[in-house]
Amino acid sequence: MSQVQARFFTENKKYLIDDVPFSIPAASEVTDLSAVINKLLEAKNDGHKHVEFDFLVQGQFLRTSLASRMETENISTEDVVEIEYVEKFTAPQPEECIMHDDWISSVEADSEWILTGSYDKTARIWSMEGKAVMTVAGHTDVNLYNGLSSLLLSASLDQTIMLWEWNSERNKVKARHCCRGHAGSVDTVAVDPTRTKFCSGSWDKMLKIWSAVPTEEEDEIEEPNRPRKKQKTEQMGLTRTPLMTFSGHNEAVSSVLWMDAEELCSASWDHTIRLWDAETGGQKNAITGSKVFNCISYSPLCRRLASGTTDRHVRLWDPRSKDGSLVLLSLTSHNGWVTAVRWSPSHEHQLVSGSLDNVVKLWDTRSCKAPLYDLAAHEDKVMCVDWTENGLILSGGADNKLYTYRYSACVSDAGA
Amino acid sequence: MRPTHSGTMSKLKNKKRNLEENEDEQLPIFDKDGGKDAHLDDGDEDQGDLSDGEESVFSGLEESGSESDDEEEEEEDEEDGSEEKSSDIEENQTADGDGDDQLSAKEVIKPQTDGQNSKEEKKKKKAAGKEGGEESVASVRDSGLQISSQVDEYEHDTSDEEDIRNTVGNIPMEWYKDYPHIGYDLEGKKIFKPIRNKDELDEFLDKMENPDYWRTVQDKMTGADIRLSDEQVDLVHRLQQGKFGDVNFNEYEPAIDFFSNEVMIHPVTNRPQDKRSFIPSLIEKEKVGKLVHAIKMGWIKPRRPKETTPQYYDLWAKEDPNSILGRHKMHVPAPKMKLPGHEESYNPPPEYLLSEEERLAWEQQDPEYRKLSFLPQKFACLRAVPAYSRFIHEQFERCLDLYLCPRQRKMRVNVNPEDLIPKLPKPKDLQPFPTTQSLVYRGHSSLVRSISISPSGQWLVSGSDDCTVRFWEVSTARCLKTVEVGGAVKGVAWNPNPSICLVAVSYDDTVVLLNPGLGDRLVCTATDQLISSYEEPEEVMDQSVQWAVAEGEGHEQGHRLILKHPKAVRQVTWHGKGDYLACVMPDNGSSLQVVIHQVSKRRTQNPFRKNKGLVQCVSFHPIRPYFFVATQRYVRVYNLIKQELTKKLMANCKWISSMAIHPGGDNVICGSYDCRLAWFDLDLSTKPYKVLRHHKKALRSVAYHRHYPLFASGSDDGSVIVCHGMVYNDLLQNPLIVPVKVLKGHTITHDLGVLDVTFHPTQPWVFSSGADGTVRLFT
Repeated sequence: MSQVQARFFTENKKYLIDDVPFSIPAASEVTDLSAVINKLLEAKNDGHKHVEFDFLVQGQFLRTSLASRMETENISTEDVVEIEYVEKFTAPQPEECIMHDDWISSVEADSEWILTGSYDKTARIWSMEGKAVMTVAGHTDVNLYNGLSSLLLSASLDQTIMLWEWNSERNKVKARHCCRGHAGSVDTVAVDPTRTKFCSGSWDKMLKIWSAVPTEEEDEIEEPNRPRKKQKTEQMGLTRTPLMTFSGHNEAVSSVLWMDAEELCSASWDHTIRLWDAETGGQKNAITGSKVFNCISYSPLCRRLASGTTDRHVRLWDPRSKDGSLVLLSLTSHNGWVTAVRWSPSHEHQLVSGSLDNVVKLWDTRSCKAPLYDLAAHEDKVMCVDWTENGLILSGGADNKLYTYRYSACVSDAGA
Repeated sequence: MRPTHSGTMSKLKNKKRNLEENEDEQLPIFDKDGGKDAHLDDGDEDQGDLSDGEESVFSGLEESGSESDDEEEEEEDEEDGSEEKSSDIEENQTADGDGDDQLSAKEVIKPQTDGQNSKEEKKKKKAAGKEGGEESVASVRDSGLQISSQVDEYEHDTSDEEDIRNTVGNIPMEWYKDYPHIGYDLEGKKIFKPIRNKDELDEFLDKMENPDYWRTVQDKMTGADIRLSDEQVDLVHRLQQGKFGDVNFNEYEPAIDFFSNEVMIHPVTNRPQDKRSFIPSLIEKEKVGKLVHAIKMGWIKPRRPKETTPQYYDLWAKEDPNSILGRHKMHVPAPKMKLPGHEESYNPPPEYLLSEEERLAWEQQDPEYRKLSFLPQKFACLRAVPAYSRFIHEQFERCLDLYLCPRQRKMRVNVNPEDLIPKLPKPKDLQPFPTTQSLVYRGHSSLVRSISISPSGQWLVSGSDDCTVRFWEVSTARCLKTVEVGGAVKGVAWNPNPSICLVAVSYDDTVVLLNPGLGDRLVCTATDQLISSYEEPEEVMDQSVQWAVAEGEGHEQGHRLILKHPKAVRQVTWHGKGDYLACVMPDNGSSLQVVIHQVSKRRTQNPFRKNKGLVQCVSFHPIRPYFFVATQRYVRVYNLIKQELTKKLMANCKWISSMAIHPGGDNVICGSYDCRLAWFDLDLSTKPYKVLRHHKKALRSVAYHRHYPLFASGSDDGSVIVCHGMVYNDLLQNPLIVPVKVLKGHTITHDLGVLDVTFHPTQPWVFSSGADGTVRLFT
């Protein structure tokens, strides 16, 4: 019992070792195993630097001793244990803390800029270094969500979505279109992969699809003789009406996203996630949960949906499954509602979640019992998280602070 | 017979009769004088006399026995007749005598003829008619008549009344002791006592010498000495011996039984049998007919044959028949005595003798726990063994053992306490219900008295003692708006109509309708238009409440209408359609406790003319036009259309604090300050269907969920208790009430915990506001 036969393997060519079984003490833990691998690597090539490794037994990270793990997984100690090792994820490094004047309701970032929406009725553009670049003020009410690139989208509690055009060189913002049509606060917007359309979900239970292409023509308005129309147009942009309306939810739509160019996914307070055909407007599939959905995120890498609900769990769903409501995995560690969840754009197993318990958690689906890291910097409710392609994790909350973390997950094994 | 009369008495009687004779003879003369009527009467008598003339001879015999009036009457007549005749007969033998004699005789006789007094009086009455004033004559005649009737009686009488000399009557003779005379004779002259100067010596001599002394008695009446004759002495002896006085009387004569069972040829009475004994009885026929009918109809049944088997008490009836020897199985043998062992021996082996330490330990031990009840001792010989000192004690204990030994094995009933609890579904199966605290809405600086949620479930309004009303976003706990009002807010209520965006806020004596400007733009503007489009009616009504439109700063803040009440308003509640608003102004002395406002017409009405107690809270029925008014002890249900009291619910508690109506409308829950929550089923009874006492302190608020079968109660102990309250559609099934969760979160401030609870309109979430200035959301 004291010794087990183990064979180590990795997909990272840099750290390849001989494919032979080793006899290792059963009581050894991650650090012991890591030392073993490092020893082997040192023996193989002289210029090896010490690297911390993490180990996976049957697709799950090893967190306890090897023996207890094998016991729980019912692995016979007689056989040779296959152990995969990967470079250990280093903890996310906090980078910036950007102060806002009010609660941060939403955040979105690309490689250069960070766009945040706040309860002080403004959207702000920040540089990566945390410098305020631009303040977009136009909504009469709390600002919520943002689109991206030189065209910005802002949705608000005042039931409108504004389409802005931002000239980054001149640093000027112009309101191009004001999208009217919702009868409730607009809680979520999502731009489709082709960047020609966007979809919005609202408290009025509707999903609406709008054109994201700025034009000079105004859509037909229901009130033709509007006083001060010119002035209004200059301030608010041209009024735009929705291309399509999806109705089907029984409660407020809390989150919407594009799965691909033709497929929409929306989560609602009526405990369902629905998949829609963006072309025909028909409902394709529905996943029924037991709690109100606050947020969803989709990873094209693993083709999974992650949802944050008003209980403590982050749940993973397979949107393709016909029988619908089958939870693949529950990630339980939060103590409050999960308000935000976001898949890593580059890693198929990793996601980040924010909760009302002031904590942002970084998860690896291979280690579903406990999160990889807790990012407990916020002093109040976390309202939004984002994860950029270049490995930046952002989180904003009710403490008016936007935190950014540099997280260098090894890109090498992401493609696997 | 007459000739046998002898002596003075017979003479006297004769004299009387003679006198009577004379009177009778004179009667006709009187009659002639008196008139014809009297004569007729007399004639009747005479006739009667004539008819019965022959029998009159024996009249004397019959008279003594018969007492009845009629017969007497007749007999009297007969007597008259007989007397007349007899007197006629005796007329010849008339002897001369004095009237004085006759009178005195009559007087003497009178007391002896008691039985005949009535006769005499009747005679007198008769005579009254005939004789008028001549009573004396009649009485004389009467007396004569009496005497004549008694003639036979005295035939053999030896009474010495005949020679009565003394007329003093039957008085104690001592009265004459001191007088020389002893009475009066018939002529009224004194009868002197015989001169007797006998002293004791004379008496003695007389006794010694007179051979008749023993038969000499003194006549008290005359004072004379009388020597009794032989016959008299004999009579005295006989009487002393208890014998009959008459020697010839045979008291043992054989009796003749006239009325015997033997049928005689010549019966005593010869009455022929009645006719009715020959013909069948109609009454019997009728009775038999009734019985036959009753038997035919089955009303009468033949008597059940008596059970001949004797009744005994079965001592072992209750015993299980299957266990043949059940009684014996249950037998508990008497405890046996322990057999003596070596330690009881007078010379026990040394290992049984206790060492010093063991002995000390034995002595210190409690007698009950001692292994041995005595100390083993060693004696040199059996002779040296002393008397056992504990003998009596041990025998007594042995008797106690026998006596107190149980006679029967006790069958202990093992009841699992779990089984006694009614089967309720597990809370886990009753999900969803709120379980954990999710959000805390912080911002108020003082206790939050009231909360209300918008019909869409997106906003929450709370009113606090810090004179502010705050509007919150439910999902984020973000305070979107703070409106200041002029006093501590007692109640807030969001208009339940989704097409109107109004919130009623009560503070002090004012109710303000606020437009928070949240939610759909169109709805908010429509609400404002609705309020501004109001037109003042032609005639201005005199209302107890002043309506005013808010202007200026207030309007900026969202105030739209201000209603000034005469008294402090404690609660506001909307009707389901959102036009009517009921306000409670608790006041024990006034009838104006509840007012109902119609917002669209800005009208106020006081629905109740009478004060029926301190109103605690009111509520509109969700569907029907009913109005619930909770006073301290009762909940009254009024029909608003018929304007009458429909029901009065007895809450069985001391002081109702809050009330909530089930969205179905048939169930009501009431919270009370004495820690109870009463669930009423309006279809079932006016008494609580169930009373829950889960809270430790006074309940402040209760609420129903609009869709889920949930209700919640908030209490001063800082907890919210959520219960599953399923109401079934079929009337047969009673509501199922299961407490599912105790939600804690509020800190107790100034002895106050949770002040208000309300449910989210669509989700199974409950909000509670507390004295700690927070509102909490439990999901």
